Amino acid sequence: MSASREDNTSPDAQLSSHFFGDLLDSIVVDIASECHRIAKLGLDRNLEDEEEELRLSTQARVRAADPSNSGETNSKYVVDIFGQTHPPVANEIFDCMNCGRSIMAGRFAPHLEKCMGKGRKARLKAARSSTAAQNR
Amino acid sequence: MRHSVNRPPTPDAAEDQEKEPTLQEIINIKLIESGEKERLMELLRERLTECGWKDEMKALCRAFIKKKGRNNVSVDDLVHVITPKGRASVPDSVKAELLQRIRTFLNSAAL
Repeated sequence: MSASREDNTSPDAQLSSHFFGDLLDSIVVDIASECHRIAKLGLDRNLEDEEEELRLSTQARVRAADPSNSGETNSKYVVDIFGQTHPPVANEIFDCMNCGRSIMAGRFAPHLEKCMGKGRKARLKAARSSTAAQNR
Repeated sequence: MRHSVNRPPTPDAAEDQEKEPTLQEIINIKLIESGEKERLMELLRERLTECGWKDEMKALCRAFIKKKGRNNVSVDDLVHVITPKGRASVPDSVKAELLQRIRTFLNSAAL
């Protein structure tokens, strides 16, 4: 039983093709029905999201093209993609867990260096207090 | 209101009994009764999903829906959008595999 090109129009091949087409049609209807449902129920968020994004990007482009809004020279007031501005130094204030002082977030790392003993003065301070404890 | 699906008219019962079932109909019944049609459907579905054909068709639908507006589309429209492209873009290997399975069934059904 060889599948030669002559088989193309034999009744057997026609029958097989017919049933294959049948199966394909059913699957096509399934897919069409599924897409139709998703579209009608508004489940495809991408559709609306894409239009929203398009709108926002055109707005952003307009803002960027505006000469009074140059990003490099005005780093304090540059606006990010969410429309927020950030100060150059983080200015939230909280308490240091080592010494208990109120520290500004942007100054926390240098503070920790001194506070926890990387700096010269801090090491001397720690050494002095430990020897004091030993001599007691 | 538009009808979403076009149905062919229900065949008349009296008319049916006078016609002899065609070869196609006989085979179709055998396919269904033996469960082979279901298996073939699942196989075809799996192959078409694996090779990305299903995703292509869904993308075609989405593009069409975007163009026409999602409230102006019927299932029929989508079927008409997918069918020509769909039939043409089934990979040869998938088609060959399914045709082989069908031929095997036809032979084994001892017609």
